[in-house]
Amino acid sequence: MKQELYDLAEWAIKTAKSAGANDCRASVEAERLVEISYRERKPENLKEASTKSLQIDIYADGRYSSQRTSDLRKEPLKTFIGDAVAMTKLLAEDPFRTLPDPKYYQGRAAIDIGLYDPAYRSLTPDARHSFVKAMEEACLAKGGDKVISVSAFGNDSYVEAAVMTSNGFDGYLEATVFVGGAEMTAKDEGERRPSDFAYAVAVNRKNLPTPEALGEEACRRTLSLLGGRKIKTETLPIIIENRVVARFGNGLVQAMFGRSIQQKQSFLADKKDQKVASPVLTLVDDPFIVGGLGSRLFDDDGLATKTRAMIDAGVLKEFYVDWYYSRKLGWEPTTSSPSNLIIPPGKRSVKEIMKDLGRGIFITGFIGGNSNSTTGDMSIGITGQLFEKGEPVHPVSEMNIADNHLKFWQRLAEAGNDPYMYSGTRAPSLVFTDFVVAGI
Amino acid sequence: MKKMNRRTFIKTGATAAAATLAAPALPGGWYSLPGADSAGYFESEFGITDALCRKVLAEALAKGGDYADLYFEHTISNYLILEDGKVNRAASDIGLGAGIRTVKGEQVGYGFTQELSDKAMLNAAATAATIASTEARQPAGQFLRLRTKDYYPMKTLFSSVPLKSKLPLLQTTNDRCFALSPLVVKVNVSYHDQQKRILVVTSEGVKAEDLQPRTWLYSSVVAEKDGRRERSGWNFGGRREFSYFTPALLEDLCQRAVNRTLVLFEAVQPPAGEMPVVLGPGVTGVLLHEAIGHGMEADFNWKKTSTYCTMLGKKVAEPFVTIIDDGTIPQLVGSINFDDEGTPGQKTVLVDKGILTSYMHDHISATNYKVKPTGNGRRESYQHYAIPRMRNTYMPAGPATPEDVIKAAGKGIYVQDVSNGQVKIGEGDFAFYVSQGRMIENGKLTAPIKDVNIMGNGPKMLANITVLANDFEFSVGGAGACGKDGQAAPCGFGQPTCLVKSLTVGGVRS
Repeated sequence: MKQELYDLAEWAIKTAKSAGANDCRASVEAERLVEISYRERKPENLKEASTKSLQIDIYADGRYSSQRTSDLRKEPLKTFIGDAVAMTKLLAEDPFRTLPDPKYYQGRAAIDIGLYDPAYRSLTPDARHSFVKAMEEACLAKGGDKVISVSAFGNDSYVEAAVMTSNGFDGYLEATVFVGGAEMTAKDEGERRPSDFAYAVAVNRKNLPTPEALGEEACRRTLSLLGGRKIKTETLPIIIENRVVARFGNGLVQAMFGRSIQQKQSFLADKKDQKVASPVLTLVDDPFIVGGLGSRLFDDDGLATKTRAMIDAGVLKEFYVDWYYSRKLGWEPTTSSPSNLIIPPGKRSVKEIMKDLGRGIFITGFIGGNSNSTTGDMSIGITGQLFEKGEPVHPVSEMNIADNHLKFWQRLAEAGNDPYMYSGTRAPSLVFTDFVVAGI
Repeated sequence: MKKMNRRTFIKTGATAAAATLAAPALPGGWYSLPGADSAGYFESEFGITDALCRKVLAEALAKGGDYADLYFEHTISNYLILEDGKVNRAASDIGLGAGIRTVKGEQVGYGFTQELSDKAMLNAAATAATIASTEARQPAGQFLRLRTKDYYPMKTLFSSVPLKSKLPLLQTTNDRCFALSPLVVKVNVSYHDQQKRILVVTSEGVKAEDLQPRTWLYSSVVAEKDGRRERSGWNFGGRREFSYFTPALLEDLCQRAVNRTLVLFEAVQPPAGEMPVVLGPGVTGVLLHEAIGHGMEADFNWKKTSTYCTMLGKKVAEPFVTIIDDGTIPQLVGSINFDDEGTPGQKTVLVDKGILTSYMHDHISATNYKVKPTGNGRRESYQHYAIPRMRNTYMPAGPATPEDVIKAAGKGIYVQDVSNGQVKIGEGDFAFYVSQGRMIENGKLTAPIKDVNIMGNGPKMLANITVLANDFEFSVGGAGACGKDGQAAPCGFGQPTCLVKSLTVGGVRS
């Protein structure tokens, strides 16, 4: 397949250039995906397909457009590219829109970041079904008569992509992703039917938890929500569980993009080299983790990647500045978007930390809400456990936390010793003091 | 021959098929024999003949199963983007493919392909067929073309509107937003148009072909005042033609985008805790969609994971509350001539004068509940199979004036616009982000509020709707989409001003 992808990319560039483009980037991506889910001990859904698509970025007469298609029949494709070039020339000129200076393509790390699991080739339908069935069984067994419904699912995909530009970039990758998970709904008082799920994603299948562990976790999480209720509005310490830190921290990362800064939509725009968080927060962008879900040797612009400390002991050190916004801002480019985001873990477990906190809330899920990248204001619904002196009191639901990023990161008190391994964001549980938790 | 229901297989044989298929009284649609129309789009463009469809359906049923369907899609999407004063970016996306589904009871096998060759489609059908393991079955011997009303007729296709006519929309919007206030420092405008052509062919012998347009124009504004920045925006759109974007509409768009941004400089954070909440007309209907609508989608109910699964026929709201899901409102973004399983678009009353009367059904759930499908089987694209989804969900008006409703609240908050809604189906708990609103003090609107979440419980909220005003509006945005099981679908909504007795407001003051 590799050569076929390259051939199409090369053909697309040639076609665009002969239609009048000055420069272009062509990416061809092929994917094979399989999805299985089980419910009531039988397959609920089986899905399988192969896809292939072409994306072509066209630079013509100082103008720019981006085109994508899954209609890869040669004649219609040729017409499509020709029309796209002609259309591009009708747009407004944008002197900042160019392919990157090829010097930034240089220095690509010569290491294997392990994005492809060779075990993929030998994965059989039976192995896929057994994994999902085992998740469902484990969840059903642990849930007993509390179970209303259990769904278990397993997906895997194999992606191959070739990227070329008319100014000499050449990138290829082959990657696998495996997903396993289970969701349970349980009986509670009245008409309440709490549900929660366990879910894991990995590049290597062997790095997924066992199906039994996933099934049991789905059950444990769901049962822990039984009897959920809200409490009086109160200012409390909160612990954000490792699994949901990525969603919580996304509001901070959004404000670090070059686009947000140039478009005056970032509360961090003038905060470089300033203290934006407590010294507990270090945020490292590491593209070279072997088997990391965000690992990459080149970014969306083709720029060679490197490890960067984005926030170092609370001080903001870097932004995500892609090639285009680097030109608009007159800054050096860094990289277009996060690869793997690492928050280094602390020394103590969540349980140990809870003992010292007195009364607080352990947040295990978020619902709705928003973070405003322009102002830093954040307000989001939560579910979790009220605890006192390390012991759970009861689950909380229908509650909310609100604050401003420029304030609450300064109150980050501690990081747990439990980095979450099944996401591109590898963060431990985080402890904050003095959050207004809104309820009754 | 045994009596057949809608799910039963139609054996080969044109007369029998025609007779059986004509029988189901599906509202809003009717069937005609093939030959009445010229070849459809997919036949003339891609060679998708009835004979080929029959062959692929037969492959999908090669191992048995109750039912199979084919979904062909050819979608052309265009985007134009204005940033820093110039329309300097365009993007297009062409989606072409076919999805093949085999259904056995509640089980689904699904394969899809982007290549519309016989071989690729037969492969995808063979994948779908693996869900079953009994005797092969035959699809209908003849396909009857579904004819419905057209709720979004296109006199002029987007592809026939030259780019030079589209560009000034964005430029005018940009220039006008800047002209409206010296505080405006950045304007982003995006324009989208889409022509989605679909063909649904079922093993029961239904063949339905449609062209679904969708468009929007969105303006996002950043303003600066005394060193503070605020951002907001507005969009207009729907299943409309290009001619929808008149100068008057653009003026309205700019006024709303700029005013909504400027008001944020005056905004305060409301206190946190439970209080009465008044929902303004129109766009806040998204709360109805999220907090109440999802729980009434039938799949969550036959799986018993929805809090509404035991409430059919029971009182869920006050007698003056009716809730409707409707695919037949002209040009609204959630309207459909027929759904993605070939069931005609229709109006479904979910809550009738306070009583829960129906869920929203696709083919599978309707069979399960032994009712007719309600035309809610929808999907994002050929890469997904249909599941029960809302269309345009709304609550009709009541007798009060909006002022009465605000007065009845006494002290609380008024919600003018919401976004980022999410619901937990089993508990019914939901959360919403209030992007525009006001405080209510002494029965009157006072200071604007912003950046605050509201939390509640769907069934409780529904039961707690105590006053409805006479100012019903549909939301006229086109840019929003609803997400479920990883699939996005455009949905519409509407409601009058209404009072919810109590919700939790997630402010920062305890």
